Amino acid sequence: MKELLTAEHVTKRYAAHTALDDVSLAIPEGSVYGLLGPNGAGKTTLIRIINRITAPDSGRVLFDGHEIAPEDVYRIGYLPEERGLYKKMKVGEQALFFARLKGLSRRDALARLKVWFEKFGIQSWWDKKVEELSKGMAQKVQFIVTVLHEPRLLIFDEPFSGFDPINANLLKEEILALRDKGATVIFSTHNMSSVEEICDHITLINKSHNILSGRVDDIRRRHGANLFEVAYRGDEEALRRAVEGRCEILEGAAEESVYRTLKLHVASDDEVRAVIAAVNEAVDLRSFREIIPSMNDIFIRAVNGQL
Amino acid sequence: MSRSNIPIIIQREFNERVRKKSFIITTLLMPVLMIALMAAPALIMEYSRGERKTIAVIDESGLVAPQLESDEEIRFETTDLSTDEARKELTDRFGVLYIGSDILENPANVRLYANSSSSLSLESNITGQIEKILEAEKLKAYDIENLDRILSEVKTTVTLQTFRNDKSQEQDTQAQSSGVATALGYVLGFILYMFLLIYGSMVMQSVIEEKNNRVLEVMVSSVRPFDLMFGKILGVAAVAVVQILIWGVLIVAVGGFVLPHLMPAEAMAGVQAMQQGMPDAASMSGLDPDMLQAVAAMTDLGYILKIFGCLLLFVFGGYLLYSTMFAAVGSAVDNVQDASQLQMPITLPIILALLMMLAVIKDPNSSLAFWFSIIPFTSPVVMMARIPYDIPWWEILLSLAVLYASFIVMVWFAAKIYRVGIFMYGKKPTLKELFKWVRYKY
Repeated sequence: MKELLTAEHVTKRYAAHTALDDVSLAIPEGSVYGLLGPNGAGKTTLIRIINRITAPDSGRVLFDGHEIAPEDVYRIGYLPEERGLYKKMKVGEQALFFARLKGLSRRDALARLKVWFEKFGIQSWWDKKVEELSKGMAQKVQFIVTVLHEPRLLIFDEPFSGFDPINANLLKEEILALRDKGATVIFSTHNMSSVEEICDHITLINKSHNILSGRVDDIRRRHGANLFEVAYRGDEEALRRAVEGRCEILEGAAEESVYRTLKLHVASDDEVRAVIAAVNEAVDLRSFREIIPSMNDIFIRAVNGQL
Repeated sequence: MSRSNIPIIIQREFNERVRKKSFIITTLLMPVLMIALMAAPALIMEYSRGERKTIAVIDESGLVAPQLESDEEIRFETTDLSTDEARKELTDRFGVLYIGSDILENPANVRLYANSSSSLSLESNITGQIEKILEAEKLKAYDIENLDRILSEVKTTVTLQTFRNDKSQEQDTQAQSSGVATALGYVLGFILYMFLLIYGSMVMQSVIEEKNNRVLEVMVSSVRPFDLMFGKILGVAAVAVVQILIWGVLIVAVGGFVLPHLMPAEAMAGVQAMQQGMPDAASMSGLDPDMLQAVAAMTDLGYILKIFGCLLLFVFGGYLLYSTMFAAVGSAVDNVQDASQLQMPITLPIILALLMMLAVIKDPNSSLAFWFSIIPFTSPVVMMARIPYDIPWWEILLSLAVLYASFIVMVWFAAKIYRVGIFMYGKKPTLKELFKWVRYKY
């Protein structure tokens, strides 16, 4: 798959600390790419370098195959985590102002704003001052301003903070719709459940290093640690005897329910078939499934150095 | 960003401010207010005079009462009543004036019994009249012939016309008035001081506000911080220039076109004589020469245009220099309260400039005056105060050149601080740290 944006060995040092140390990543075109990491890991610095707000000390950033240039800012939409609007300005005027800064003509901007304002049902806000809007309302305007110029690369830093679940969902759908139309999305967040829902790829940055990169599915499987859950009907003792030696039995549970369950840890992939066969022999097997760790677990384990 | 975003920023900053009601009101009201302020003393006099007051006079000397002249303020009437009776009975009058029989020898023997509070102008009216009458009486005692004629011949008013020897032929016919120049110098110096301070801190507050509500975070992804800072400075400058231009047009219109029609014809003849360097002819009009010179200056279009041209250039240059510093300080703090300490190095030179102006205006050609009108931090205020004195052009040009050059140095310096400052939240930096930021690389 073609990469829209690649960072190669990017290093950025400040007076007191190193914000990014030899970080490389490749963001495939048309993907939703999660940029994860604890506070202070260097995510914001990386995003600022991509936005050309600051320059790296060494390394380079390629946009669509060429070294990122000032004009590329017109092809990027950035919604920072800390964001705001001019309080005294009217909503419509302000949206126009930001659109023009992104290179849209007044006429284009007006036409596109009309579409978005209708989509979000907020036409009546056009002549309101921003200070009259609630936080969530202002966030909607901010989102529109970010995506209005139809950039090829969208960068969202904690986009859902300040949204109620309904509007967060609306926003999520809009982000996915933009991806489906061909935009590439960088998505920086701490909220791991949203990562599982919408990210295709992730990079985990910790202490200025890229410590984990790849497809979300691959990563979760790779760190699945061969944990399986068996649901069955029959004699627990027989089951335990059957798998003994082939794998480690972690816990049994749920006496009251129709099916009993047992968690197993299989030492290697090669053993999995043999274990299934043994289980099948011993009890009435209902299901045998891999327990895939949540991104949350992987995040915590990776940051604590347990991967 | 290949195309500069500065014009879009300027437009926003300009529109935001010019559309405010407060801008429209101050711009239109300020000249009215200034005129009102100048006219206030006369108006107050006019209205405080109130209705005509009747005063009953008991003159035991018989010298004064016949010569007291009633005017629109006081009407005098003599009465034969005794003082006590008059005080009791004539309560419908404003008061009773008692003049002792020994008034010539004892001028303190005058008493006013007022039925309500009297005023300073009324009292000085009465004492002035009595003094004149008594002086005339005393002079009469010397028995000089043709006294009236002698007195009128002796009475003299001196009018000093100052001319410049170092001016070219045409110019030297133009009379110079130090009085008008001093007044104008004060006004111009103060205007500069006000503009630097008000518009400079406007830039600072605007930067702080942007940083505080995090618009900056959104902006920097589409605008270079330098463009953002510079666009804001120019946008606010445009507001200042428009304000001055509106005032300029108002004053030129009033001075050049309305005033000549309002003034009495003989006064305008005097003014023209003054403008053409014929003070003798001017003094014929019988008007106060200082007044004539002020009007001559006000209605001399060339003079007004020169003053306004310089005013614009110095306000713009001085504002640029100071606003870049204000922008740098604004970028470094999170709220206006924190800014006060860092503002010190900016406000001190402005205040120094004002103090220097007050010193310099007494002697606009001293070396102190020269140097403080060249040093960029004080030059806008001090030079502007000197310009009405018709100082050499090369000094004005040198001052402007130094001012604009130091702005270019300062904007480079300020942009570095701004660049770092806008991303710094939390702890309020010290001045020392601010200077360290200049060396940060980005």
